[in-house]
Amino acid sequence: MKNTLLIAMREFKERIGARSFILFSVLGPLLVLGLVYALFALGGQTKQHWNVLIADHGGLFENKIMAGEDKSVTYFFADGVIELDEFKDAKKYQKFDAMLEVNEKVLTNKTGFLFYRNKPSTRMQTRVQYHYERRLEEVLVERFTDMTLTKFRSIKQPIGVTFSDINDPDGEANDMTGWAGFFFGALIFLFIFLFGMTILRSVSREKSNRIVEVLLASVSPNQLMMGKIFGIGFAAFVQFFIWILIIGTGLYLMREHLFPDVLDAANMNVKQMILDANDTSYQEQFYAAREYNEFVNLVYDRIQFTNTLIFFFLFFVAGYFFYGAIFAAIGATMGSESDGQQFVIPIVIVLCLSLYAGYYTMNYPDTGMATLLHYIPFTSPVVVMVKLYQGYEPGHMYEIYLALIILIISAFVVLAIASRLYRNGILQFGHRVRLKHIFKWMKSS
Amino acid sequence: MNTILEIRNISKSFFKKTALDNVSLSVQKGEILGIMGPNGAGKTTLIRIINRIVAPDSGSVRFDGDLMVDRDLFHIGYLPEERGLYRNMTVEKHAMFLARLRGMSKLDAQTKIAYWFDRFDIDPWRKKRIEELSKGMAQKVQFICTVLHEPKLLILDEPFSGFDPVNVELIKKELIIMKSKGKTIMLSTHNMKSVEEICDRAVLINDAQKVAEGSISELREERKSGHYSVRFRGNMISFVNALWTGFELVDKKELGDDRYEVLLAMRGESTFDDLLSVLIGQVKIEAAWETLPSMQDVFIDLVQPEKTSEA
Repeated sequence: MKNTLLIAMREFKERIGARSFILFSVLGPLLVLGLVYALFALGGQTKQHWNVLIADHGGLFENKIMAGEDKSVTYFFADGVIELDEFKDAKKYQKFDAMLEVNEKVLTNKTGFLFYRNKPSTRMQTRVQYHYERRLEEVLVERFTDMTLTKFRSIKQPIGVTFSDINDPDGEANDMTGWAGFFFGALIFLFIFLFGMTILRSVSREKSNRIVEVLLASVSPNQLMMGKIFGIGFAAFVQFFIWILIIGTGLYLMREHLFPDVLDAANMNVKQMILDANDTSYQEQFYAAREYNEFVNLVYDRIQFTNTLIFFFLFFVAGYFFYGAIFAAIGATMGSESDGQQFVIPIVIVLCLSLYAGYYTMNYPDTGMATLLHYIPFTSPVVVMVKLYQGYEPGHMYEIYLALIILIISAFVVLAIASRLYRNGILQFGHRVRLKHIFKWMKSS
Repeated sequence: MNTILEIRNISKSFFKKTALDNVSLSVQKGEILGIMGPNGAGKTTLIRIINRIVAPDSGSVRFDGDLMVDRDLFHIGYLPEERGLYRNMTVEKHAMFLARLRGMSKLDAQTKIAYWFDRFDIDPWRKKRIEELSKGMAQKVQFICTVLHEPKLLILDEPFSGFDPVNVELIKKELIIMKSKGKTIMLSTHNMKSVEEICDRAVLINDAQKVAEGSISELREERKSGHYSVRFRGNMISFVNALWTGFELVDKKELGDDRYEVLLAMRGESTFDDLLSVLIGQVKIEAAWETLPSMQDVFIDLVQPEKTSEA
């Protein structure tokens, strides 16, 4: 045990002393924070401005459209017919971001066409569609009814239908939270892959520089392998802790200093916006606010950090041991470093499949396949994270513990097999790895 | 009890290859034992079994009278043939790490590190990374890491391979000092000159089996060919004439200034005394002695007996 600890401490000190460790510890969370900041900033920004040319050669809109208070879109009316190629290439049209085609057919088929140069944001699409709709309403009311526009608008009752899960009527879990779960699952796999590769490299380096035989004269192969997995795992944990610290502090600072107004609950009251019928652009605001606030709301309110961190930690540790043992066994059995790279490919494929499993679960959470992937130790760390955010059915929380127990048992089994491979393979140098050797090593005690 | 290590009927196979076949030997306290054998004979496997790195298929190893256990490894210092160091660790940290693995306390390790670093003149390098050291310096560090915990038994696998001549002499000197302090040393080497110089006994392993064991003088004595050497001053023709039919000139070497060294074989019933009597008066004899085979000859004779007999 003492020797395992000595090996672990050496590995740990070597990792945390490495420049790459420090860089990844600081740059990684800063990158995440940067992304969050960008999403906040983009979500809240209103500066994007579009010039839209309306090609209304039939004169349906009579050169009128109300953009109202909205400063983000300016409309221009074109004279005559404009061919698409002409709009695309002609110099005089280059100042327009998009061309909105209006013709008589829209009265019957209710379909408009807009040709853009750069894809508009969802919010911009909503805005233009809204303005188009409003102007069309005016035309329709004028042509086909005796009502005043005010009367028509008082009758018209746009309704927002909220789709809610019967098990989650408050909408705690949705696609966005599924993505949050996926993010945490992917984070587990990122750490497992990075530190798994560190284990592999460390084992292969000890083999190639031949220090391993000196070590094996003092410690058993099992102690050496476990010391390595523990030491590198502890470094991973420290790095993860630094990530949490930096991201946590960053989110706090953003809330307090950078986005205090938009994060204010009073500014996020979507229901109030729906009720406010006098607000002429309520639909557009509703849409944008919902889109924007969901992310903010997700980050600050819906992610249950305490709960997440406990399960993240448990699945991270168990998953790390499960995959770490495989990486250590690969490192020990290979004859040369290039051999090892070759053997890493299947494990990378498995890791990618695990990520896909998480994505699959996000989209089809209640299928048999998702349930299966939830329990398979190769995929469970990421799938469980997604499921955790999508929400387990009431009384089904045992599923998460069952997945955890399966993962822990599998980790022990893999560690036992890896230990045999490690013991038998660690002193084999320069050989070609053959499957029959691996099977024989697995069988021998 | 004078035996520190006793190996009984050890056998070991890897897949279909037999690495050791029923090998037994013993190592006496305070001796330097040479393990000789061609490449692939099984020397390293034997050493790994003693160090409990590899488990034997059958047989036993006894250390200080008892069946060997992991704890006994604290009393063994092992310098493998394929030895390495962590290149990015400092010399001091590396030595400390290995000393601690060998069961030393931190304080004890610090004292010993200071002593050995001073003795091998590497104190100025203690804070340097291993990768910054010259090869010779790194070799010294490797040796120090092996002896730091003052083991009762030192096992060195090819200790002189890769070492420069200066370091070879340094290591030899240290081994002799350690022996004088009662330590036991077991070394596997291809350097037969070193075996002759520092080993008390030798064991020869060939093709997974022990083929010879004994003191260096015994091994050489057993394989002597009845050749004698004479160093003299005088005329070579007079010397050859004096030999007449009783002796055969096998080889000669001119040393300059009318001095020669010749190798002779006896014919018939001729003896060393007869040789001296025919030569006295013909040439001025400076020295004459019975020529024993070198350990190199013993080695080749044991490993390739058919070739030497053909020759």
